[in-house]
Amino acid sequence: MTTSLTLKDMTAEQIVALSVAAGEPDWLTERRREAWAFFAQAAPPEWRRTNLSGLNPEALVPTQAPQGTAIQWDAELAGSGVVFTTMAAALRSHEALIKAKMDTAVVPLDHKFSALRAALWQDGAFLYVPKGVAIDMPLRVCYTLADANQAIFPRTLVILEDNASVTLIEEFTSHNHVAAALAGPVTEILAGPGSSIRFSSVQHWGAGVYHIGGQKVVLGRDASIEWTSVSLGGQVQHVEAEARLEGNGSQVHWLGATFGNGTQNLVIAPWLRHVGYNAESFMQFKTVVNDSAYSVFDGMIKIEHESKATSTRLEEHALHLSPKARNDSIPGLKIDTNDVLKGGHASTSGDVDDTQLFYMQARGIKRDDARRMIVMGFFEPALNRIPVEALRDELTGIIEGKI
Amino acid sequence: MSNDLIIKDLQAKIDDKEILKGVNLTVQHGSVHAIMGPNGGGKSTLAHVIAGHPSYTVTGGEIWYKGQNVLELDIDERSKLGLFLAFQYPVAVPGVTVANFLRAAINAHRAEAGKDPKTTSIPVAQFRKQLREGMAALEMDEAFARRYLNEGFSGGEKKRLEILQMTMLAPTMAVMDETDSGLDIDALRIVAGGVNRLAGPQMGALVITHYQRLLDYIKPQFVSVMMDGRFVREGGPELALELEEKGYDWLREELTGAA
Repeated sequence: MTTSLTLKDMTAEQIVALSVAAGEPDWLTERRREAWAFFAQAAPPEWRRTNLSGLNPEALVPTQAPQGTAIQWDAELAGSGVVFTTMAAALRSHEALIKAKMDTAVVPLDHKFSALRAALWQDGAFLYVPKGVAIDMPLRVCYTLADANQAIFPRTLVILEDNASVTLIEEFTSHNHVAAALAGPVTEILAGPGSSIRFSSVQHWGAGVYHIGGQKVVLGRDASIEWTSVSLGGQVQHVEAEARLEGNGSQVHWLGATFGNGTQNLVIAPWLRHVGYNAESFMQFKTVVNDSAYSVFDGMIKIEHESKATSTRLEEHALHLSPKARNDSIPGLKIDTNDVLKGGHASTSGDVDDTQLFYMQARGIKRDDARRMIVMGFFEPALNRIPVEALRDELTGIIEGKI
Repeated sequence: MSNDLIIKDLQAKIDDKEILKGVNLTVQHGSVHAIMGPNGGGKSTLAHVIAGHPSYTVTGGEIWYKGQNVLELDIDERSKLGLFLAFQYPVAVPGVTVANFLRAAINAHRAEAGKDPKTTSIPVAQFRKQLREGMAALEMDEAFARRYLNEGFSGGEKKRLEILQMTMLAPTMAVMDETDSGLDIDALRIVAGGVNRLAGPQMGALVITHYQRLLDYIKPQFVSVMMDGRFVREGGPELALELEEKGYDWLREELTGAA
């Protein structure tokens, strides 16, 4: 689906016409129409901690697909039935599967932005791993924004069949844009029974980008995810992310690293939702703020009434490098059952530790270098999980530049 | 220029509390000099002031080493001058591995103004060899190098790591702050062995301890006793034995009686 219109000039009729012209199936055209209708009448969400005053969505032009999507994998994997391709191509080859699975994890008509994403998503990545297939090499999808005043709405849809395992990096990157640009990505991961995924979501947009994203993972019986969320770039980020421990014995190990500097406003709202029995989850988000940046950790553990014997722990730690920088940690725990095995929470916040600085300086390391090492060490457990060394080095360079 | 560590009439406070009230001490180059004394007398404060801990304010006096006024140097410059503080309570730095920390410290020592750090930093193979040898001498497992600095370390592991750092940085004057605290006999033997390998013509040591026990393993040539922020007695190894036998009260009584 391609267009050169600004959002202001778009209408439901045009959305439908563009979808039909792109040869999309009827059900998708209908979903887009419905989402657009919701978007058109919905009031903007009241996100008190997310500053969208610098964004004028009406002036943005949804970009033409698919130049912004780069997919890296080994085509030999196709021999074992693995599919890793653009969503546009997958709509032709796996339409029935996409129809059945897409939007089963996320809620398209949740708020104005989720509806906008559902109405206008163009392209993206589709990953399908058949039963019992284990892929060792990391697969990568990278989304970029070519120009300012553009809006992109990529979709990532991952379907893992029983006992499949995969490593996936989803990356958002661009040059610096002076004028605002909007990225509204949606990621859905459906992990079948016994499957496992190592998933790194790495946001390192250039300046000027507003990133308003949704990510949702649904885990089947004994499925597991090792999730690493890195948030470094853009002007404003507002990400709602959720891991739903649907199946009995499912597991989540989730690390986050957020670093805001300058005037960045980075908000992340990660949720763990426990539904199955004997499921285990661990979430640890670390935040560094410098200059006059404002970051928000709005995490939640929700233990639903039907769950039993949940083990869960949430930690959030923040480091302040400047007195003007701010971080709000708003952890929540909602328990709707009386059968919880373990539930824990820990939180720290403060400046770089003077005793650590002294100890390192006493070994000959200069104060600034010691500070840099302490901050890098703070993020080390998360960065260490990025499975590609070149990307890890790139992120290390970006982080060092922000200290 | 003297390679002795010379402390003259040193006075220091923390918050508004006077701790050091005129400390005079000369630690001869290449000697082992023990400081003993009851808790709260200022021994650890002296160690921290020598290293430059920012919580202490020096209100008077001087510290000289190798012709430099130590009190005018930044913390890291004191280390590069050859002074080393073995911490009583080594600090954990999560996410920074032992190996990376050691390499950063060694490279900081090797750095030279105006030169690209790439040209002065220690070659990887040489670093690995030194690290392996240092760890073997202290009976440390190789996996140790990949652990985060002091995080979750036992008391004995922390003190061994202090000695490993001392070994690899090769200081000319080591200040050992209650290195024996929290050690069982086996760990004490290993740690003391590490100090003894280094102490001698290349390295002097100022060994701070509350107990004589450590001095069974690290033999001092000189023993000074500190009480209430001042040195009150100086002698040879026999002084440590006398203190072990009689405690500190007789000395206190003798001093107050004399006053």
